[in-house]
Amino acid sequence: MPYLAKLEKAGIPTALIDFDDQHEMVKQEALTAGVPNIRYIPASRTTPGPEDVEQWIEPMLELLTKPLTEKEKESGMYTPSQDRVLFEGTLDEAQEFYQQTRVVPEPLNAPISVYTDGLPIIIPTEERVAEMLKGTSHKPEDLITYQSDRGGRFDRPMHKGDVVRFQPRSFTATVEKVAINAVMAGCKPEHLPVVLAIAESGVQTGTTVFNNQWMCLSGPVVKEIGINTGLGMMGPGNPAGMAIGRAYQLMAINLGGAVPGISRMSSIGSPINRVGLCFAECADKLPPGWKGLNEEFGFKKDESVVMVMGSEGGFNGAQFSPGGYRALQKSGHGGMARKLGVKGVPGPHNWLDWILPDIWVGDREGGRAFVMVHEMAKHLYDIGFKSKDEVLEYIWKKSFEPLKKYRDRSWVDLFTNGWLGNEPLSGKPWKELPDDYMVPAGGNSPQESCIIVCGSDEEICYEITATIRGMWGMQPVYSIDAWR
Amino acid sequence: MADKDKVYKCLSPVGIESSVETYPLAPRLDKLDGKTIHFSITGEPDITIALDKKLKADYPSVNWTQKKSYMPMPVYLTEEEMKTTDAVILGVCW
Repeated sequence: MPYLAKLEKAGIPTALIDFDDQHEMVKQEALTAGVPNIRYIPASRTTPGPEDVEQWIEPMLELLTKPLTEKEKESGMYTPSQDRVLFEGTLDEAQEFYQQTRVVPEPLNAPISVYTDGLPIIIPTEERVAEMLKGTSHKPEDLITYQSDRGGRFDRPMHKGDVVRFQPRSFTATVEKVAINAVMAGCKPEHLPVVLAIAESGVQTGTTVFNNQWMCLSGPVVKEIGINTGLGMMGPGNPAGMAIGRAYQLMAINLGGAVPGISRMSSIGSPINRVGLCFAECADKLPPGWKGLNEEFGFKKDESVVMVMGSEGGFNGAQFSPGGYRALQKSGHGGMARKLGVKGVPGPHNWLDWILPDIWVGDREGGRAFVMVHEMAKHLYDIGFKSKDEVLEYIWKKSFEPLKKYRDRSWVDLFTNGWLGNEPLSGKPWKELPDDYMVPAGGNSPQESCIIVCGSDEEICYEITATIRGMWGMQPVYSIDAWR
Repeated sequence: MADKDKVYKCLSPVGIESSVETYPLAPRLDKLDGKTIHFSITGEPDITIALDKKLKADYPSVNWTQKKSYMPMPVYLTEEEMKTTDAVILGVCW
């Protein structure tokens, strides 16, 4: 939208083709860009292109020729209300106020909470927010800024000190604003530096597909706040994990302005984002020599960080039974042993060979976050993987497939820009490569995946579809210590 | 006063929305004939290929230019190109 605004301001009339269900988003973005009356016309999501175009080509061209209305000729200043105090009343009255909803029209047509995720909140009274702010040395009025240089979305670099723009509305926020949302989520003051580090990410909510927002903590903060790193670490029950996860979603709603059906267009939505998902790695149970997430991303072992992810894809469990896994490793029995050809041979065996390369068959290409219990990590260590990097390299090499097969995937049309550019590894034009040229379905490098070790004992591994080092083009790891 | 009757000041969790200077739309074209109109293609080839063909076939007196991306972000006109462009059609993402 800033591009269309630039053109209109330069005196070049524009016509935007969108879809029916995107009009509210267009209007919102147009206002933010300073051209609230931008002209647009919807294409159809279902009618075949030639027939569809036939129906609206003339009115579309009229957007360029029809004289401006008086309203479209207007200029001025849009100055939204910025009251610090939103409501005064009793706690019961406040709960009712903060629970207010608005009906968002089709394609949603249901009440959506204005300030919350739909659940009751802790009311952010001045007193509670003041107490929350004791969790950081930053001043309440300080703007949320990037604490380090980092790659930005669509190759726009972010520099230390740049003000964070919360998407989709490009709002900014102060430390106090973040603390208010933290109170609402049920956080405690000791959680605030984590929530501020998450805020530094801009708490994006993705596009129209199934973006899952999740966070993983690493470093001393894990024990300081008592977040669960063991059995059920992604499930309910742990106050720190639940409240911090919820804080992300409340910040997305309030600081980002993300409203389903208007500016948060995930088609079916994701259960991962229903309340929020924050967990932590279990550094104590990493195999010898395997680094924690903090060290992997250039921080020290005694530094606390949070990985903030938006992953476009699934949370898939490796589909073996834990008992079957144990049978493989203890004595070489069961289906897993048959597949690996180690029937009757005691482990440790490379269980990755049981799931690779099938995880990319029928699923999206790109990196994965492998969340595995410590015993399974130890088995990989015992068969020779002395670092996470060695495991990631092995996984990546298993992901190669012929270009002929790679071309049949869907997202690749988009990410190769219609096969117009060059294949990243060879540097050769996509269109000149032979069908049997081998392409990594697991991303452009082994480091697009990562490993997170969990302290639980039951043998389970998740493969979360996620390009770890570059989702939204952002480096995903943020310092918590910078916000203490 | 019972606690339940105590009145509190409750703070706004909403992000800071900058004031925005709003602009009028650009004056529209008096006609299409003889104009240079740029088609900025952003995805949805089922629609944009058909539109591109029909624009060129039905409006041959327009000087059509084009930049194409499969990504949501358009390929921008340069400042020089903007000087010689009379109008822009952009779709289907923006």
